[in-house]
Amino acid sequence: MIAPVGVVLGLSAVLFGIGVFGFLARRNIILMLVSVELMLNAVNVSLVGFSAHMEDTRGQVLALFVIAVAAAEAGVGLGLVIALNRNKPGAGVGDLTDLKW
Amino acid sequence: MTSLHAAQATFYYLAAASIASALLAVTRRNPVHSMLWLLSLFMHVAGIFLLLGAEFLAAVQVIVYAGAILIFYLFVLMLLDLPGEVARPRFGRHWPLAAAAGLSFAALAWLARVGASVAPAAGRTTEPAAARGSLSQMGKELFGPFALPFEIASLVLVAAIIGAVVLAGRRSPRP
Repeated sequence: MIAPVGVVLGLSAVLFGIGVFGFLARRNIILMLVSVELMLNAVNVSLVGFSAHMEDTRGQVLALFVIAVAAAEAGVGLGLVIALNRNKPGAGVGDLTDLKW
Repeated sequence: MTSLHAAQATFYYLAAASIASALLAVTRRNPVHSMLWLLSLFMHVAGIFLLLGAEFLAAVQVIVYAGAILIFYLFVLMLLDLPGEVARPRFGRHWPLAAAAGLSFAALAWLARVGASVAPAAGRTTEPAAARGSLSQMGKELFGPFALPFEIASLVLVAAIIGAVVLAGRRSPRP
């Protein structure tokens, strides 16, 4: 055993917390999406850690599905960013107040 | 024994470097610098996967995350107004609240991992440990018990492709 499972899970927790901070604090839409990718990657770390700990392949298969969902999320999210930039050029997150009451 | 120590030292280096890369990626002012730090993070996480015995996932991490998703983000970043983004404030006014939320979540998960003293499953060690992350073992799982989720994942990807084309390919709004 290279690293105890607790260390791997702690690393995953720290990475996920950094992703949460980035998503809530950054004011750039693309970097908010990047923070979501960071959180998904942290989940992958914990899945692979569990897979190594339980000596089971299924955790890695689930991590593969998480990667597929991350790719889909990147495609749709960046499509939304492009559509937004076409309709309102140069709009930041703070300018999107059309749905605000 | 020394090789195990070397592997452990490598693991702790990779963990520290990935945390540092993630912090830098989230806090840099220039979005392209953020992307480069994110590339560093993905590479280090791929190394962690390799050390944990997930060779195929390490390759997928490099090919899909660092090779495809990151380049996609960089392309979209180039399409948008980069100097304007650099001039804007990085964080919203509420960033201490966001930092508190991230810290409290990380602390919560860190405390929860203390209870994760699960014993390794004793019954399901039919395959040799060295072959666990190999491509053939992953393929057996993907086309055996995980066949239906595998097909559904392809459906999700097709839906995402169609959604991206519909969203990004639309012309200017009709009068």
